[in-house]
Parts: sequence; C-alpha cells; structure tokens
Amino acid sequence: MGLRLDLLLLAAALLFSPALSDLVILKVDRRVDLTSQIVRVTSTLKVENNGKDAVTEVLLVFPDRQVKNLAYLFAVSSAGKGKAKSYSHTLSVNEINLKGMPPSLVGYLVSLPEPLGKGESYTLDVLAVYTHSLKPFPEKITQADIQLLVFEDSAYYLSPYEVKAQSLTVKLPQARIESYTRIENTKLHGSDIKYGPYENLPPFSHSPIVVHFESNRPFAVARELVREVEISHWGNVQVTEYYNVVNRGSEITGEFSRLEFQARPHIRGPSSFRNLVAKLPPRTHSVYYRDEIGNISTSHLWSDSKKTELEIEPRYPMFGGWRTAFTIGYGLPLQDFLFESEGKRFLNFSFGSPINEIIVDTLFMKIVLPEGSNDITVTAPFPIKESRETKLSHLDLVGRPVIILEKSNVVPEHNQYFQVYYTFSGISMLREPLMLIFGFFFLFITYILYMHADISISKSSPSYLAKMQWEEVQAVIQQVENIVSRCLAVHEKLEASLQDLSRTGVVQACKSVRKSADSTLKELYKEMKPLLSFLQSSSQAAHILPKVEELVTKERELQEKLMTKHLTVVDCYEKKLGGREIENRINAHQQKITVLRQEVDDLLDYIDEL
Amino acid sequence: MAPKPITSPVPDAWYPTLAVFMLAIGLVITASFFIYEATSLRKNRSLAKELITGAVASVFLGFGSLFLLLSSGVYV
Repeated sequence: MGLRLDLLLLAAALLFSPALSDLVILKVDRRVDLTSQIVRVTSTLKVENNGKDAVTEVLLVFPDRQVKNLAYLFAVSSAGKGKAKSYSHTLSVNEINLKGMPPSLVGYLVSLPEPLGKGESYTLDVLAVYTHSLKPFPEKITQADIQLLVFEDSAYYLSPYEVKAQSLTVKLPQARIESYTRIENTKLHGSDIKYGPYENLPPFSHSPIVVHFESNRPFAVARELVREVEISHWGNVQVTEYYNVVNRGSEITGEFSRLEFQARPHIRGPSSFRNLVAKLPPRTHSVYYRDEIGNISTSHLWSDSKKTELEIEPRYPMFGGWRTAFTIGYGLPLQDFLFESEGKRFLNFSFGSPINEIIVDTLFMKIVLPEGSNDITVTAPFPIKESRETKLSHLDLVGRPVIILEKSNVVPEHNQYFQVYYTFSGISMLREPLMLIFGFFFLFITYILYMHADISISKSSPSYLAKMQWEEVQAVIQQVENIVSRCLAVHEKLEASLQDLSRTGVVQACKSVRKSADSTLKELYKEMKPLLSFLQSSSQAAHILPKVEELVTKERELQEKLMTKHLTVVDCYEKKLGGREIENRINAHQQKITVLRQEVDDLLDYIDEL
Repeated sequence: MAPKPITSPVPDAWYPTLAVFMLAIGLVITASFFIYEATSLRKNRSLAKELITGAVASVFLGFGSLFLLLSSGVYV
C-alpha cells in the first residue's frame, strides 16, 4: 500500500511539478492532536513566491483515504506568534480537480486575500479534522483490556511545492505507547512524539509513520442524530434530540461481568465510557433525558449565567460495539434565538450536537416553524442538504413548515450558527386561541340547540299537549312574577326618596320621584293585564290562579298604602310639621305596609316553588 | 438595522396567573349560562342572551386554557 502510494506520488511529482513550482513553502509546523477520537491536524504554513507572477491561490493536497474521513477543513491567515496570534482572515477553501493529478490525491485551493508578489511570503493556518481515522488494534478486546489505537500518517508534509523546513508533533493522550515508527530526527517527550526538523524536501515527499498507542477516551459516535427545534412565538424554543449512539472503539469479546465492573470500574472496564456531557446554552429550562422505556434518572445538571451543563449516563456502561438510543429535550427562551431584522424574522441557532467530542455520522436538523410562516430561506456557514416537510402538532390545521438540514460526518467544529429566515404576521399567533375559543363556543351552541329543540315523537298526544299548555302557563306566571318584582323595586325607590327627604328636606325631588313611579307602575299594570286574562282563560292554570290573583291584589294594596304614606309625609314636610308628628301620622300605615310586604314575599316564594 | 430580539406578547411569568384567573372567570360565566338554561322556561328564554353568555364564556375559557397549556410547558 505504502509502496503503491509512493509510486503514485512519484508519478505526480513528475507530471505536476512544472505547473506549480512558483511557490515554495519555507516552513511547515504540523501538530496532530490524538487526545480524543477526533483527529485534529493544525498546520502552520509559511509560503513564499519565488516566481515572477503574482500568486493568489495555494494548493493543498490530501491523499484520498484521508479525504474520505475529512470532516472539516478550515484555513485562516495568521499573523503574530503564540498567544498574540490574531486570526484576521478566514480564507475560502474549495475542492478542485486539477488536470494531471493522480486519482489518489484530492486538491483544495486556498484563496489568498491579496496576490502574493515576487519574494513575498504569507503565513496561514490550516485546520483539518478527521473522523474514524484512529483504528482500534486489536479490534476485539475483553472487558479488562485497555484500548489500543493505530494512527497512520506521513512524517513529511504532503505538498505539491518544495518544502524548505518542516516538523511534525503528534500529541497522544497518555505516555503509554506500544510502538511508533522511528526515522531520523524522531524524539519522544512524555506523551508527544516529535518528527523533524527536515529540510529541503522535494514536492510530494512521503514517509509513512504508524503510531500504536493506548487511549481510553470515549469513542462515542452518534450513528444518527435528529435535532428538532420547534419555535413557539408564545415564548419558547423547544429542542428535542434523538440520539442513536454507538461506541466505535475496540469491540468487546467474552462475557461482561457487571459485578467486576461495579467493584473496580477503572480496572475492569477501562475502555468503556459511562457518561456524556452536553453543553447547553444558558437559561435552558425543562431539561429531560429519557429513552423508549421512560425517564433515565442518572443525569446531572449544572447551570450558571454562561452555560448549562448536562451530564447524562446511559443505562449501562458503553463498551466497544455497544449501542444505546436516548432522547434529550430542553426549552430555551425565545428572545435569545429569534430576532427580527428588516421585516423578516430569523432563528439564529447552532448546528451540531451539544455533546462534547462526539462524532455524528448523519445529522438531521429539523426546524419546525410556526403555522403561517412563509418565504423560508436558510443561510449556513457550510454546505448542507436541505429539504422540506410539514408536521402536525398541537392545535394545528394545515401543519407547520419544517426545514430539514442534513449533513454527514459532523464534528464539534460544526457547532456554528446558521440562520433560518421567514416572514410571519403577528395575527397568525391568534390562530391557537381562536381555535380553542371556537371549540368551547361550539359546545355552548350544541347545548343551546339541545335545549331549544323539541324532540318528542308524537306531537299530538294529549299528554304532550297538556305539557305544552302547562309550560305556557308557567311562562306566563314567570312573567307576572317578574312584573311584581319590578313593582317592588319601584316601591323601594319610593322609600328611598322618603329617606332622602328626611335628610335633605327637598320636597321637589321627592315629588318628581313619585311622578315617575306612578307612570312606571301604570305601564307595568298594563303589561300585567293580558297575562292575567290568559291565566283566567286557561284550564291548566286553575289551581294556581287564586294565588296569583291574591298576589296581584296584595301588591296593589301594598302600593296604595305606600302611596298614602308617601303623600302624608310629603304633606307634613310642606306644612313643616315636626318629626314626631310625622311619625305618629304614618305609624298606622307603616305597620300595614310591613305586614303586606311580608305576605307578598311569601306568595312569591310559594309560586316560585311550583 | 441591528436585529431585534423577539419576545412573546405576554411575559412567560404571567401565564399561570392568567390561566387561573381567566379560567375562573370563564367557569363562573359558564355556570351562570347553565343556571340560566336550567331555570328559565323555554318560552321566556332569550337566544341573544344565551349566545352572548356562551360567547363571553368561551373567550375566557379559550384564553384560559391556552395560558394553562403554555404555563404547563405545552408551547402551542
């Protein structure tokens, strides 16, 4: 394999070098970070233009077996050194198919911000992130074994340009190393292996190295992750994440002893991982963690003003090859993620999984917008496959528009913000309450219809007719009662006017009240007349009629007495008689009034009870 | 123009209170509706009064149940 690649590279060098020989790489520092399952290679390149023409692009090449696992490639121009380094420009990186390039190599063109003149140099940082590049070896281990991994790369920087000076540092998680390729200038410092410096190497130089080392870091891979983000304009962004996680480390063979694992987990299960930590946004609320069976209680949550940390433990320790599926969900405040700009609303949300150092084979990001959203567009910092669907949720009629963003091979570097723009009118928010209101109103209407409907089958039977007549009588009696109580209310008014008189001594006001009371009572009697005559003619009302008539006469008597009393009092005031004198005069009336009022009340109660 | 954060029309913290009060008012009006239906006679009943009471009750019950859903975490 290595030999074949060498031959290809040689061929490439012969075919290719004349076209691209203008640039020279003065210095390359490569740092390979193997401390987690994700391989991160940072290369600092210092390029110089030795040709006559200005150069605007730098070509990077990668062998295709690496490109297959390449999840993320990023280039920035770097100025300064060490911590003072400022990343001023993000450079655009595009895959390119150059003529004459062997199929085992893939090229990427980095565009420089400004053309590089003759003799000028430029420094840039290139970050390449690979997944599934660490191969467990041996592939199968037992519960107590440690996990060993193999990493392959080239000690020389693979470049179409001549490289003047270069070095490579491989950072391992632990100092325990099984073996590593030793070539000239190889040094081991603790858990770092250093190759180089090597000087003046021709284009496409290649020297394979293999590092075999121990790593018990979690190999958590989500084979599929569905993140559903549901927006409610009533103040919430609900996130639900469906994970399907597998440990892609060395597969476990033999039996698993829970007892041994429980007693000494670090010795009897070093290759497993027990928990995953998710870093959620600040002000996260209503967090849950469950699977198909139900809630999983082994989780912890910490929160401060900057972030919320959720630690979740699967139901069992995750050994190599073992799988688990679970769901986590949480709510976020709307104002942190939804914004309005130029009449359009947009969601600003982070792509990728919040779980630390997890690889996602296929990520489906579903953004569920509220019903009534239009003109949906997505802007993302990297290419994503986009599709649409609708989802029916609470109180929906036509379903909510859903945007599905699909991406494979997602690493934590993809946790960048993307935006979903849409238009939405505030009136659409009233859909849900209106649905509820009409739902309740429908119930009321149904009840009203039921109460109004006549659902008896035989409309001509004597009992039905009698019932109808009786209902009519009842209705009339109710009306009579109603009129009587209105009369009583007028009486109250008269009494009140008398009290006013005793307080203020203004006779005129009292008289006007009397006048209006007279006319009201007259009208009420007019209304009552046809009702009474109806009752007298109706046979059904025979037994109740005397009582009703009694009520009417008593009421009239009461009224007469009251009027007399009123007249007397007003008279006395006009003659300016003393308080005692007035009292003496109305005393007799007052007693009768009290008795009559009691009788009227009793009669009303009696009729009511029928 | 800088993007402006979007908030809910009613602050979240009010949802439980609003739910309780609106549902209470709605249920009282519903009760009065049913009392009216049960006590008044068919002949004397006024359709307009029934409809108005029903409509007012359903507005209160509708918003009340919406806020109940929101306060219990079902964001519609």
